[in-house]
Amino acid sequence: MRTAFNRFRLKMTPQRVLSVLFLVVLGYLVIVPLFLMLRETFIVHPLERFQIPGAKIGDWTWAHWQRNFLSDNAYAFFYKPLLNTLKIALGLSLLALVIGGALAWLVVRTDLPMKGFIANAAIIPYIMPSWTLALAWITLFKNQRIGGDQGIFTALTGIATPDWFAYGLFPIIITLSLHYFPFGFMLIGGALRNIDAQLEESAELLGASRPTILRRVVIPLVLPAIFSTFLLTFSRGLGTFGTPAFLGGPVREFVLSTSLYANLIGQRPGIGYLAAVVMILLGVLVLYMDHKIIGTRRSFVTISGKGARAGLVALGRWRWPLAVLVLGFIVAVIVVPLCALVIDTVMLRPGIYAWENFTLHYWIGDASLTVGLGTGEPGILRNSQLMSALRNTMVLAVVVALITGILGILVGYAIVRMRGSWVSQALDQMSFMPYLMPSIALGAIFLAMFAVPRGPIPSLHGTFWLLVIVCTVSYLPYAVKAGVSAIRQIGPELEEAAVMVGASWWTRMRRILIPVQKSTYFSGMLLPFISVTRELSLLILLVTPATQVATTITLRYTDRGWYPYTNGMVLLLVVIVVGSTILSRRLMGTSIAKGLGG
Amino acid sequence: MPDIVLDQVTRLYGKEVRAVSDLTLAIPDGSFTTLLGPSGCGKTTTLRMIAGLDMPTSGTIRIGDRFAFSLAEGVSLPPAKRGLGLVFQSYALWPHLTVAQNISFGLEVQKVPRAEARQRLEQVATALQIDGLLDRYTSELSGGQQQRVAIARVLVMKPSVLLLDEPLSNLDATLRMDMRAELKRLHQETEATIIYVTHDQLEALTMSTHIALMQAGELQQFAPPLEVYAQPANQFAADFLGNPRINLLEGRVARGVFHSAGLDLALPDAMPLPESAEVTLGLRAEEFRLHDTPGPARAPARVTTLLPTGSDWYYHVDMAGKSLIVRQNDAPHLRLGDTVHVEARPESYKIFGADGRALAGVP
Ligand SMILES: Nc1ncnc2c1ncn2[C@@H]1O[C@H](COP(=O)(O)OP(=O)(O)O)[C@@H](O)[C@H]1O
Ligand SMILES: [Mg+2]
Repeated sequence: MRTAFNRFRLKMTPQRVLSVLFLVVLGYLVIVPLFLMLRETFIVHPLERFQIPGAKIGDWTWAHWQRNFLSDNAYAFFYKPLLNTLKIALGLSLLALVIGGALAWLVVRTDLPMKGFIANAAIIPYIMPSWTLALAWITLFKNQRIGGDQGIFTALTGIATPDWFAYGLFPIIITLSLHYFPFGFMLIGGALRNIDAQLEESAELLGASRPTILRRVVIPLVLPAIFSTFLLTFSRGLGTFGTPAFLGGPVREFVLSTSLYANLIGQRPGIGYLAAVVMILLGVLVLYMDHKIIGTRRSFVTISGKGARAGLVALGRWRWPLAVLVLGFIVAVIVVPLCALVIDTVMLRPGIYAWENFTLHYWIGDASLTVGLGTGEPGILRNSQLMSALRNTMVLAVVVALITGILGILVGYAIVRMRGSWVSQALDQMSFMPYLMPSIALGAIFLAMFAVPRGPIPSLHGTFWLLVIVCTVSYLPYAVKAGVSAIRQIGPELEEAAVMVGASWWTRMRRILIPVQKSTYFSGMLLPFISVTRELSLLILLVTPATQVATTITLRYTDRGWYPYTNGMVLLLVVIVVGSTILSRRLMGTSIAKGLGG
Repeated sequence: MPDIVLDQVTRLYGKEVRAVSDLTLAIPDGSFTTLLGPSGCGKTTTLRMIAGLDMPTSGTIRIGDRFAFSLAEGVSLPPAKRGLGLVFQSYALWPHLTVAQNISFGLEVQKVPRAEARQRLEQVATALQIDGLLDRYTSELSGGQQQRVAIARVLVMKPSVLLLDEPLSNLDATLRMDMRAELKRLHQETEATIIYVTHDQLEALTMSTHIALMQAGELQQFAPPLEVYAQPANQFAADFLGNPRINLLEGRVARGVFHSAGLDLALPDAMPLPESAEVTLGLRAEEFRLHDTPGPARAPARVTTLLPTGSDWYYHVDMAGKSLIVRQNDAPHLRLGDTVHVEARPESYKIFGADGRALAGVP
């Protein structure tokens, strides 16, 4: 008894205490929300008591489940959005796969000119907010349906765009796949780079033709990367919110995430939470498939590995035409949309392409100007609301990047150093869970969780800290993954050598563990920084007028049809995100691909 | 300076793995004690428990007159308070620090005044001949230089006990020879107790004052090297030490004579072995003589392989189906397939019973 107590006491090292603390905190922030969310689907919410005969607020009920899955309205509530979601996820991942894969092959395996530039440029669509292209699409192709004015395309050509082209599933799939194809580019490119040239050369010696080699040798070898890309983009497609909100809203085409949002802020929170539960289940299913398919195929990848780099395929007379095609593509997905957004912000009245209509009013205009959209609204750079939202975004991004960075190191440390213990496993799995939660659902649950004081935790509703907490939880999987891989590279002996001379845990962290992997940690922080800057769906339910961030406030301007303001803000965000990526690459040698890690 | 006493130390990993089992060992002050044994026998675990980086599941560890670890007393001294230094197998040099910073880190942590720290750094750097490398990063050093830095980093703290975990295993053969001599010199100069871990029996034999031979987490024998070599406590000890491996002959004792595979060996009178006992006799390669002619106490054998090493010749001979390794230091006139007559000339009688233990009464 006494020795058991002594053993317990002697083992209470700082890192153990810390891990148990993390376990409690993560449990509260990750596990509790899951149960709360499930509970909300059985509860009568204030606005729902009129829809359910004889129900009081807070009663337990099956009504939401019944309505969502079985009622006459179930198709509109649930099945249609579900079907749309699946269509979008499927379409976007196939398209992203084809574009990313083709580009990866051209850059890695052929003698295409200007590869370096192309490789760098191909990442940019991914770091921009995912709905940048949606806004650009609207600017370019909108028709009379919204706002009464026409897009740049119609103004230039005189051709009116049909509804199916301007709004709905078609443009959603196109713009999202143009946002997500860099996944395929990076993953498949990496796999192609790892193929041992001898595998191909031996096929060539046997007389196989180029297309045969591609079909029978190369593609099977990169199959795991292809599956990874597909599942990764598919799961993103399931949860995406901004693009379907912008492009689906005008034609009332809903997906799970937008219907969740509409129901939550509308009159049917119970059904909204049900959509969240379904989204999580879909996410788990995708993950399970990833485990089944990739897990058994992974050995495939290691067979290749370190051999000689394959010779480059000579494109011959196709070299320059293909280069022009690729550059044209890059111009079309980066330059054209951004230009369209810029043009939109410098035109006083939309749709009038005349010299005297060009103005900097929407950037630096005075509130007193009463022409154009948004009467009485000062230009973006002089607009205190917009600027304070932008400031909030920056502060939030920096704070979250620092917190997740530090948390990633500490949790990663606990996971790696206590490997084999249940604490390590629990931390590992818990820190991964937010990955499965669609961010809009995560936002919804944090709204419910922190709206009222619970035990020692005060109500955080409307505070900046609520945003910090929800972002931290949401990016925890990435941060912990980065932390684990960084700490794993530091072998325990490097730390024990410091223990031997009496360095405290804090000294070890400060003087050894953190400086040794500086650039890895920094990479790990870059991703949360960028993600917060462009985050919309996670925050949309949680912001209040005082805590508006740049992305959420743009949505409000969109609602009023004041697109120049929206577009200007998005441009500022793009500049910040791309600029900080380039800057950190210059300064610290970080790479977004590293932080992404599949 | 202190003796280090381990008393019934056991370390379990989970419920199954007994990394170290009931280890009792008193390491004399000032000794060069080697923990020797095959890979996975618990040497590193033992060293880490002495260092304080790992905790025994049960048992106590004393350093001098203090408990370093005792569950009953509720004591586990932190590593830095045990007055010992550990050189890791991987060296564990900090890659983001220069050599000088690596060495001074501990002094800084212990808040040694700057002037004194500088002086101690220079002193230890000169002693280990790395004074020219102080401003380099450790990745710019050769394996041997890294090794010296790792030792310097520990010596600068003036430990009274130096723990080394397979320090030479990452070096190439010639460098290893040099470092062996240097470590021995270091032991004499610093007068520190050294606890040295290796799986290389030759290193253990050449360097140590004491060998603690371990197998499967258990201590097999604790004695000076030549004693372990000449009077192994059991068959494992006999087999593990010595190169080439000892020849083990299974046989029977009858009227004071050992009979095996045609070979007869008269045992000393003082050896009280029961009549017709089944025993195993260990004979090292140098404990044989090969003759051209038959004679009493000689057994015929056939030469199957001949291996010159430059100074000696090793023969593999086949004696009635039993293969022996024999060392001779005169030039051979034998060819493969020749018949020789083997005589055993043991310098010590290494006789093991059926349980593998050395039989009592062996001189
Ligand atoms: N952290 C650990 N968890 C589980 N088993 C371990 C651990 N460390 C060592 N062992 C086991 O304990 C035994 C002794 O290991 P070790 O002391 O490293 O051996 P040596 O240093 O003699 O090669 C081995 O069987 C090893 O597998
Ligand atoms: Mg070892």
